[in-house]
Amino acid sequence: MTLLAEILVSVLIVAAGFFGLVGSYGLAKLPDLMTRLHAPTKASTLGIGGILIASMIWALMSGHGFSSHELLITLFIFLTAPITANFLAKSHLHRRIERRESLPAPEDGASWATFEAPEATHRDEPSSIAAARLRGEQE
Amino acid sequence: MALTLIVLLPFVGALLPGLMIRAGRNGCALATGAVTLLAFVLLMSQAPAVFAGEVVHARWEWLPAIGLDANFFLDGLGFLFAGLILGIGLLIITYARFYLSRNDPMGQFYTYLLLFQGAMVGIVLCDNILLLLIFWELTSLSSFLLIGYWKHLPEGRQGARMALAVTGMGGLAMIAGMLILGEIAGSYDLSTILQEGEAIRASQWYVPALILILLGCFTKSAQFPFHFWLPHAMAAPTPVSAYLHSATMVKAGIFLMARLWPVLAGTDWWFYIVATTGLFTMVMAAWIALFKDDLKGLLAFSTVSHLALITFLFGLGTPIAAVAGVFHIINHASFKAALFMTAGIIDHETGTRDIKKLGGLMVLMPITMTIATLAALSMAGVPLLNGFLTKEMMLHEALHTEWAGVPWLLGAAAVVGAIFSVAYSFRYIAHVFLGPKRDDYPHHPHDPPFGMYLPPLILIVPVVLIGLFPAAVAGPLVAVAADAVTGGNLPDYHLAIWHGFNLTLVSSLAALALGAFLLWRHRQANAVRLSVPRPEAKRIFETLVDGAAAGARLFTDGLHNGSLRRYLAVMIGACILAGATAFLNASHAPGGRELTHVPIITLLAWAVLIGACVTIVIFHRQRLLTLVIVGVVGMLVSLGFVYLSAPDLALTQISVEVVTVILLLLALNFLPKQTPRDSGTGRRLRDGLLAGLGGLGVGGIIYAVMTRDFTTISDFHLAQSKPGGGGTNVVNVILVDFRGFDTFGEIIVLGIAALAIYALLDGALNGPAVKRLRSWVPDQERARDRHPMMLVVATRVMLPLSLMVGLFIFLRGHNEPGGGFIAGLVVAIAFLMQYMASGFGWAERRMKIDYHLLIGWGVLAAGFTGVGAWIAGRPFLTSDFAHVHLPVFGDFELATAMAFDVGVFLTVVGSVMVALANLSRLARVTEGPISDDPMDVDPQRRGPGTGMPDAAHTGKAEG
Repeated sequence: MTLLAEILVSVLIVAAGFFGLVGSYGLAKLPDLMTRLHAPTKASTLGIGGILIASMIWALMSGHGFSSHELLITLFIFLTAPITANFLAKSHLHRRIERRESLPAPEDGASWATFEAPEATHRDEPSSIAAARLRGEQE
Repeated sequence: MALTLIVLLPFVGALLPGLMIRAGRNGCALATGAVTLLAFVLLMSQAPAVFAGEVVHARWEWLPAIGLDANFFLDGLGFLFAGLILGIGLLIITYARFYLSRNDPMGQFYTYLLLFQGAMVGIVLCDNILLLLIFWELTSLSSFLLIGYWKHLPEGRQGARMALAVTGMGGLAMIAGMLILGEIAGSYDLSTILQEGEAIRASQWYVPALILILLGCFTKSAQFPFHFWLPHAMAAPTPVSAYLHSATMVKAGIFLMARLWPVLAGTDWWFYIVATTGLFTMVMAAWIALFKDDLKGLLAFSTVSHLALITFLFGLGTPIAAVAGVFHIINHASFKAALFMTAGIIDHETGTRDIKKLGGLMVLMPITMTIATLAALSMAGVPLLNGFLTKEMMLHEALHTEWAGVPWLLGAAAVVGAIFSVAYSFRYIAHVFLGPKRDDYPHHPHDPPFGMYLPPLILIVPVVLIGLFPAAVAGPLVAVAADAVTGGNLPDYHLAIWHGFNLTLVSSLAALALGAFLLWRHRQANAVRLSVPRPEAKRIFETLVDGAAAGARLFTDGLHNGSLRRYLAVMIGACILAGATAFLNASHAPGGRELTHVPIITLLAWAVLIGACVTIVIFHRQRLLTLVIVGVVGMLVSLGFVYLSAPDLALTQISVEVVTVILLLLALNFLPKQTPRDSGTGRRLRDGLLAGLGGLGVGGIIYAVMTRDFTTISDFHLAQSKPGGGGTNVVNVILVDFRGFDTFGEIIVLGIAALAIYALLDGALNGPAVKRLRSWVPDQERARDRHPMMLVVATRVMLPLSLMVGLFIFLRGHNEPGGGFIAGLVVAIAFLMQYMASGFGWAERRMKIDYHLLIGWGVLAAGFTGVGAWIAGRPFLTSDFAHVHLPVFGDFELATAMAFDVGVFLTVVGSVMVALANLSRLARVTEGPISDDPMDVDPQRRGPGTGMPDAAHTGKAEG
């Protein structure tokens, strides 16, 4: 393994460790869920991502060949982490009904999706027809 | 061979009516008649042998280990009965064709009738008492269906239930009696038992066996005190009554008494039980019959009375009385079937069976009247008809037998019975046909169509012919049948009308005269009847049944109060007791194996596991939280599997965990989110103690096992996996090959469980619960954005990936971690995610797979793979594998286990999806319409007032 690769791997690991630490510290330190949510996302994306890339480079350089596992893990984490965070935030909003008043209104006059139905759906018509009707009214 | 065929034909033929009903009512009746006719012809083909005195045998070994063989034999008695059953059956089928209305499901009727016929023929022809018991119960069941044929009538249902309860109870007693009999004789073969008469009568078990068997006979043949079910069975359609109560069902008890006569009869016990019961029932039933205003009620009690007459004759225990009994079986069957049919005709044509509303039908229905009169006169015992002959013989025997030292008692009672019998027979003629013509019949009576009076007309022919020329017409048949009953000790007798002027003739004539007088004084006699207390049998029966049901309920509820906690406590307590007993009575030594070092990572996982368990115990009332922690426990367990190098188990555990949590979440949607506190401190202490002890015990066992060296079957599996099963993944080879049969059973259970979920929830959705669901208000506020865009997009992206993973896991399963089960779960989860993301209704519209079918195909695929081994001449589920070379892909290994695994895969996917589908159906009842859109907020179609471009518009603009 070349020195360059070793340096690269080391840097990645240290950076990953740093972000992991920051994420964990943030999780403990930040005051409420909405802000706290930011911390572990850093840890999961940058922290774990760094370690995975380091592992991949190491495997490649030390003659174990190209390892796709890390890439897949990264892919899946990138897929799931935002959704998890989104769901946590949504349920947090949803469960704190008294917070509803304090939330800023979305800019285009719409409302928060978790509180208001996105559009009126009539019981008797499929929503595609409802949408078409709305569209017609709009024109 | 022919014998087996005779028995089997009605059973096989029972399939026909249901199919032939599509060809119309005539086609249906013809097909049914053809089956019976064929059986009848087959029987007749055996007639020469039977009349030559031979006994025809047919033997098939069935379960020789318990002495149950499908042996049949045909002697005179069997021939007589089978002839009656099939011959009268044929007439009944004809009669029923015209009797049943267009609204009655005729196919069903004929199917029940043939089933019943088969069971009856089975009873009379079988040569094995265990087989006889089976047929006996079959007659109880099929007669239940026949009596309750008119399901809309409460009387029909009650009558059927009562008949089943009484005859079924007697059948149970008879099972015990027959088993005792078989044990005494040392064989369950009837022909052997019949040779062991003396040994059986001498045995100390004779009396219990006798009483138990007689219980069966008396209940079936409606003897006192079990006579009450028969009149209530009259709620059945008349063809059923005519069939069941003239020639078949009730004669089964008589048949058995006749069949076992050589073995059981001749003792004091037999005489006093059977003859006394018979005579008492005869007189009592005849007395009741006289006052029944319902035509069929009258006939029902007269049937009880005549059955009692036959019972009495057999009970006397003398060969000559047995001859009379056999003769009366023929006579009674002919005139009683004819009478029932005429009663049906009268009911059909006038619209009523109430004698009080009838009378004067002579002019209106001359043909019916002729038939009914002849039959009724025969029943009364008027000379020149067949009933007279046997009545004479019966009176003769009764007058010449003494009872407990009293010489006249039996004779006097028999004469009284005869008087009543004459009276009710004359009443059937006088109060129905004679008298002035009335104008208040519910219908306009006239003679029925030819097809309806033909059967009774045919039956009247033997009534008259036997009455005129007894020896010539019935002689041979009576001789062979009686020969079989008496076991070859046929006495010297001759059937004739004129026996000279003697006491018997005098009493017979006196009975006729007195009977006529009694009918003339009917009103006064009725007053006498009303003045004495009359116990209502039905009420007594119902009180008894209610009492028994209440007792059973008390017992069951005492044991099973529905508290799962109690069941668990009992089960775990029992395990602890058993374990503790074994533990305290054995020696204890520490295991010889050295303890391994505990790595820090294991310790950590262990601590988390314990922590999770403790958390569950503390927070178990908050169900959502509990579910999350259960997920944690599952995850740790699968990590444990990974740590212990069991990747297959780990994969399975993870996928099962995911599916379980999702399904539980769906169910929890409708359940309270908090468990109420409903047990006191004492009970919780008890449960805690039990749980603690149980845990300690299991832990101890595991410790004891793991600290010892032991050999398991694993070594064999490891060694044989590749050479024997063709795969290097031992777990998978065990599942699909070594223990393939287990897996086959398991997937069937899995499929059944899924179908049970379907059945239970379907019941909830169509029952009263659906109203509650409709008005159900969610206990938590709902998010409006239930199908968030991010999840929808992600699951769509994941779908092909997950399916690919599933396929990959499936294909490599035989050699590396994976297999059909895990692959099934992975694919199911891939689908589940779509359903979760966009809602069930939305996804269901786009999935065109019938998951129920998937389960079926899965089980079939696995089963066919197993059956495939038979083609190669190997046992079920023997697997085979081969290496195939494909040009581009290289060497392949194909194993039959792969096809089996496909079955497992399909069943798993089907079962999970059925469970999901049904849980979500509950949710859909409570929710609004199914959305057409995959997600609730879609940037491509923003509502009014949003600045976002509409997808449709942009599309148009660009196009």
